[in-house]
Amino acid sequence: MKVEQLSKNINGKSVLNDINFDVSPGTITGLIGRNGAGKTTLLRTIVGIYHPSSGDVAINGKSVYTHPEVKQKLFFVPDSSDALKNYSTAELIRLYQRVYPDFDAEYLHSCMERFALPQVKRISHYSKGMKALFSLFVAFATKADYILLDEPTDGLDVIVKKQVQQLLLEQVSENGTSVIISSHRLDELEYMAENMLVIRDGCLDDHYELSDLKNRYKKIQAAFSDQIPEELENKASILNQTGRVYTLLMDNESFTSLDEIKKYQPLLLEELPLSLEDVFVAKFGGDPYV
Amino acid sequence: MFDKGLWLQNYKQTKLVIGLMFALYLVHMPFQAVLAIETWMEREEMADSIDDYVYEVQRWDVLQVFSEGIISVFLLITVVVLAGLLIGLERNTRKMDFAFSLPYKRRDLFWAKWAFGSTAITAFHSFSFLSAFLIIWFSPYQDAFNQVTTAEILIQPFVGMILIFTFALFVGTFTGEMISQMVVTVLLGFFPLGIYHLTERIIDIHLNFILPIPRFLDFITPFMYVLESDQHSWMAGSGIIGIIIFLSAGKRIYERNELEHNGEFLIFKSLHRPAYIVIVLMISMFGGTILSSLAPWNADILQILSYWIGFFGFLLFALLITRKVLEMNVLIKSQS
Repeated sequence: MKVEQLSKNINGKSVLNDINFDVSPGTITGLIGRNGAGKTTLLRTIVGIYHPSSGDVAINGKSVYTHPEVKQKLFFVPDSSDALKNYSTAELIRLYQRVYPDFDAEYLHSCMERFALPQVKRISHYSKGMKALFSLFVAFATKADYILLDEPTDGLDVIVKKQVQQLLLEQVSENGTSVIISSHRLDELEYMAENMLVIRDGCLDDHYELSDLKNRYKKIQAAFSDQIPEELENKASILNQTGRVYTLLMDNESFTSLDEIKKYQPLLLEELPLSLEDVFVAKFGGDPYV
Repeated sequence: MFDKGLWLQNYKQTKLVIGLMFALYLVHMPFQAVLAIETWMEREEMADSIDDYVYEVQRWDVLQVFSEGIISVFLLITVVVLAGLLIGLERNTRKMDFAFSLPYKRRDLFWAKWAFGSTAITAFHSFSFLSAFLIIWFSPYQDAFNQVTTAEILIQPFVGMILIFTFALFVGTFTGEMISQMVVTVLLGFFPLGIYHLTERIIDIHLNFILPIPRFLDFITPFMYVLESDQHSWMAGSGIIGIIIFLSAGKRIYERNELEHNGEFLIFKSLHRPAYIVIVLMISMFGGTILSSLAPWNADILQILSYWIGFFGFLLFALLITRKVLEMNVLIKSQS
């Protein structure tokens, strides 16, 4: 799937601006950004709910806007299953079988059995966690190549979250499905995603692989006899400060080894394991739940 | 147009109203036919008791069975609600995430909605008509059909219902949610006649001249195709033309819908200013009409005075309320 120069203006305001990226088969891509950054608008535009002001989204070279039939290979799971709350599970299966020719009802039933999800007369009878699981089962049962998930684990308990993550990883590894997940939960994305798209004010701020990220930054804890040296402060992002103990995020381009800090004679110096959250606290500043 | 998936989706979305419509059609013509026969029998008995008086069923009596009565009004409301459920409901709930992410062209989504509603109306109307027709046919009043044509009792009422449904769907393509779709359908559905009556009143009280009602107003007022039982013979033809116009215009607009404005009164921002002016003006004129009608009919000056008091009173109210209405957003957020 190729997203090319995608822009969207709403009420004269640019909500998405020149977004470009590719999604390769069998990958999980995390979509992150602060509230109102344009994540949901991007997903809705990719899937054709919103028409872009300019740009295109193509699957196998065919635009989803001019050839919506290619959306048989693209499935969107919104953050709420409210639209389907009046359907029974049997009705939904019948509906999806008619809309998606490759829909695998057997797979769906097997998932429901595996996760002890009962058949219901109304989807609204499911708990929030059950709805999330059911939506995922349906998404994978369509055999779509690309699945877009908007906040799939938002408000779910730890057990259901683990089940969702497990299912996602299984599907991607076994069937080569590509998944784009919009989420605020960086810890979960770090566990699942290989690529990251960072949206800031409707623009694609960054796009990288997680393995690159670990090579791009280092997280250092250092204590100094006085304040942090000004030269070092300019080079690093301060993630945390407790008294004279600083937790710093260092960009590997401007910082190559711990020896560079040793010249400031720190009282304490050690490298800490880097998390995705650290990078985004440094990038966005403040709230760890970006 | 007849995609099974979309058919199922539309049915699920409108199941209750479809059931209600079927129930109304079930009692509409057959029930009125039975009642009419009863009435005709009573009148005949009464006529028999009077010397030299023979009772004959009138043309008007037959027309009433097939296109009049309170049930016609309920059916009209049901048809507008059906269109509202098919388009408007998708706009102010999260159903749009589902409907518009499906692998269909918007054109096909629109056609499917129209085909679904029209098929339901066609099936129920035919059933209702046939039942009523057979009830009268096998009664002593079979000859009553000699006074009316098939166009008058079948084609015109049927075309009227399809026209109203198509019109309400068309309105749904530029309104932002279900309630505004139904309100605008009613306003525009009576608009030509409404404008005539408001204008006629202002001319009447200021110039003492009653503006004659032009016949063409019936042709361009959609609701008259259902509510007017004694229609001009050309109205079936103009109704079909109306269906074609509203259908093709609706399809075009639906394809160009900017769904990010779903939940607002109108989804095209460019329509806000003209809609604001027209609504404010109509409410003000309506206010003037209401207040002037309270003045004694022969007190000309008082009538004029009360007209303008009503006009400006309602103008203030309209200025306040209309802006709020046009700026509202009733998008129902997620409740997962």
